[in-house]
Amino acid sequence: MTTTLREVTKLFGSTAALSSIDLEVKDGEFIAVLGPSGCGKTTLLRLLAGFETPTTGKIEIDGVETATPVHVTPPEKRNIGMVFQSFALWPHMKVKEQLRFPLEHHKYLSKELHQRKKERVSEVLQMVGLQEYADRMPNELSGGQKQRVALARAIAAQPFLLLMDEPLSSLDAELRLDMRKEIQTIHRKTKTSIVYVTHDQSEALAMADRIIVMNQGTIEQIGKPREIYNTPRTEFVATFVGKANMVPGTWSAEGFSPFSDPSLLWSSIQTASPFMKNGTLPVRPEQFQLNQEGNGLEGQILHSQYQGKEIHYLVDVKGHQWTVHAPAHNPLPIGTQVFLVPVTTRELS
Amino acid sequence: MQDLKRTEQKGTAARLSSFSIHPIWWRKIFIAVSLGLLLLVFVLPIGRLIWLSFTEETGGTLRHYLQVLSEAGTWHVISNTLWMAAGSTIMALILGVLAGWLVTYSDIRAKPWIHVMVMLLFIIPSYIVTLSWTQLLRSSSWFSNMLAWLPGNAATLDLYTLPGMIFMLGLSHYPLVYLFTVAVLRKIPQELLWAARASGAGSMTVFRKLTLPLALPGIAGGGLLAFLANLDNFGIPAFLGIPGDITVLSTAIYQEVAGYGPSAFSRAAVLSVILGVIALAGTVLQWLVLRKSKQLETAHEDTRPRFSLGSWRLLVEMAVWSFLLFISFVPLASMVSSSFLPAYGVDLSWDTITGANYHFILFENEKAQGAIGNSLVLALTTAGTALILGTMVAYYRVRRPSSLTRSVEIVIGVPYALPGMVLALAMIFAWMEPIPGWNPGIYGTIGILIIAYVTRFMILQVRGSITALMQVDPSMEEASHIFGAKGWSKWRKIMLPLILPGVLSGTLLVFLTSFTELTVSSLLMSTGNETIGVTIFDFEQAGYTQYSTAFSTIIVFLMLMSLLVLLLVHNYWKKKVGNQ
Repeated sequence: MTTTLREVTKLFGSTAALSSIDLEVKDGEFIAVLGPSGCGKTTLLRLLAGFETPTTGKIEIDGVETATPVHVTPPEKRNIGMVFQSFALWPHMKVKEQLRFPLEHHKYLSKELHQRKKERVSEVLQMVGLQEYADRMPNELSGGQKQRVALARAIAAQPFLLLMDEPLSSLDAELRLDMRKEIQTIHRKTKTSIVYVTHDQSEALAMADRIIVMNQGTIEQIGKPREIYNTPRTEFVATFVGKANMVPGTWSAEGFSPFSDPSLLWSSIQTASPFMKNGTLPVRPEQFQLNQEGNGLEGQILHSQYQGKEIHYLVDVKGHQWTVHAPAHNPLPIGTQVFLVPVTTRELS
Repeated sequence: MQDLKRTEQKGTAARLSSFSIHPIWWRKIFIAVSLGLLLLVFVLPIGRLIWLSFTEETGGTLRHYLQVLSEAGTWHVISNTLWMAAGSTIMALILGVLAGWLVTYSDIRAKPWIHVMVMLLFIIPSYIVTLSWTQLLRSSSWFSNMLAWLPGNAATLDLYTLPGMIFMLGLSHYPLVYLFTVAVLRKIPQELLWAARASGAGSMTVFRKLTLPLALPGIAGGGLLAFLANLDNFGIPAFLGIPGDITVLSTAIYQEVAGYGPSAFSRAAVLSVILGVIALAGTVLQWLVLRKSKQLETAHEDTRPRFSLGSWRLLVEMAVWSFLLFISFVPLASMVSSSFLPAYGVDLSWDTITGANYHFILFENEKAQGAIGNSLVLALTTAGTALILGTMVAYYRVRRPSSLTRSVEIVIGVPYALPGMVLALAMIFAWMEPIPGWNPGIYGTIGILIIAYVTRFMILQVRGSITALMQVDPSMEEASHIFGAKGWSKWRKIMLPLILPGVLSGTLLVFLTSFTELTVSSLLMSTGNETIGVTIFDFEQAGYTQYSTAFSTIIVFLMLMSLLVLLLVHNYWKKKVGNQ
């Protein structure tokens, strides 16, 4: 009872949107596919939906082979639901008609739901808190309400797999936080597998059971949110998810010497083996401490942005420009000479 | 690379052996067959026409050209045509740009109504507008009497002259320039102009350096379209030029064919090629000019007024409305009043008013009754065929954009870009004997008119449906697939309700254009298959002005009714779905 992709490649002309992707989505799992625009995450979702044909490889949903290069099950014959980036509510249908549509057409509708379509409509409306809006037209709804209807429509037929294509990107910041809770609640209640595509790492970290970080058509890292954030395995994951600064240097048994400076040794620090091999240390902005004296990496403050609870500094260290977040109670003016030290290992992980 | 190719070939071979014919091959066959049919119906007739102008029984020849071009009359006709088209284009440009600029940028009131009034003259067939003006200016009308009081020779205004034809064509086609001007002016973002003002440019500099260069391609495009429409027009040269003995290319072709001379068809073919070449030059020029205006396409339309007329507003409004009412309603009123006269030349009064002309048209004259029936059948068949085929083409054009679908659109557009008289002649050559030695007997029946109309007006539906489909986001359709509906249920429940209002305005345009068509039918009709346009033309030529005006009044009334219905449907739809 899983959804699997085996060595799936998708070429558009001669450019590879996806190259050799292997992935397994477990029953009831919430997977976030995270990456910058153009990384192939939307192509991945459209392959799962059946809007694209894989160039090589195959896809199984709920144990049914749904896509190979020669045979593709069309979207309407897959056991899926989908929330679109633009909501894609049909402008000529009332809210209740939107929700009734999958109940009338979905091929995998259970016998039980088949007999109580009307009740099901009010059930899902209640789930998203829109009982009073059943007779509204889409143009009479706010952005957040449209999103809820789109969500309700996607789960109405109880699909095996729910696909979400950046569903929150057209909402404003505050509404987005609200809708995260909504989606989490729905996931808890329905226990449907979810593949959620986003470019916002905080959405992925907040909601997903596992995150897939993608870049240029390949998977950079798969892991639980904590693993992705705390122990990135590639430079891309470290910089994209954690906004880490990549410090060059030498690894030895005792610790890490930034810029291979023997007078500096950061001991009791750990990182993933790929970084140890090529002699770098990813340090997230909040993992640096700025001292005005003492033994540390010497640098100069280039910019500072006051953010309320903290200040974001841009520090020049030997030609590298690194971001450091420091508490706001002791502001440092531009041009100040500072010494960078990593906070202790305990706080690092 | 070599290896890759070989494995690909092997792959194809393997697939071929496992299925008798792979679906991909079915698709290729389908595409090839429909492309072949398209070329056959839309392009081949024109090829035949050109071929015929260069051949005679004994083989290829330039004789027809040499003969036609050596006649002084031909050059006179060509010069008439160019003067007529150029003069009326200039008039259309002046009126169209002025009206477009006032409606988009000024704070004049009741803009939607001005828009409707401008478009009215475009929707009513030009021969009916001309008929109404001839009624306004006939020697005993109140208007002529009024003009007689004025100093000078104003009373001798004569429409049956070259300037008269230019005037009528300019009036009929300035809405084209107006439409293009409005579209391009609205697309110029106001912020651009503000940015120039903030950079220190005065309003004249802004106009010279920004508005003008940005608007020029659109305005020029509209002007060239008006030029093509002027070339193509047959109604005005036929109603004014034939009695006034001023021949232009479209009437010359008609008279050649109607005259049945010994080499009538060859001569007509030569004249058609000349007219076609002039039109083609215009089309290419228009395409080149419009290609430049592409950069404004993404900008959204800004309909806020940009300058205030101030204390002049009322005066300008009065001038605009007097003009609009005078050029359309006043002549139409003369036409309606003529239609109630017992005979031509009688003055209208309570004693002379009669409904006999209407009774004659609707209940007595078999030809008129037949014409209404024929035109209705033609318009319904053409609109229905175009609705289905045109929307299919539009769907592939929008959802699968490729060089193939783009060329399909161009091919379908060819018969509409050509002057109607040229297309009509091409239709005769193509369908008299589609395959040498086989005459299916289409020519001489209503069948050839249906084929000609579908060929000519299909592009109107394709464009209308493309516009409608572009407004439906692909995700609407994808959502219907995701939630289990495809094929007929997808179209019935999702696609049709979403595109139908837009698609139907295209269909209505096809319907109205076919319903009142004159040019093509004047050449292709046969006894018993007369259309409304031809019948009105015949009444007028035979001097039965009371019948031609009565018939025209009925047609205008029917057209206004159907537009009203469309407007109501649209309003109902907007209320239901809202402006998204």
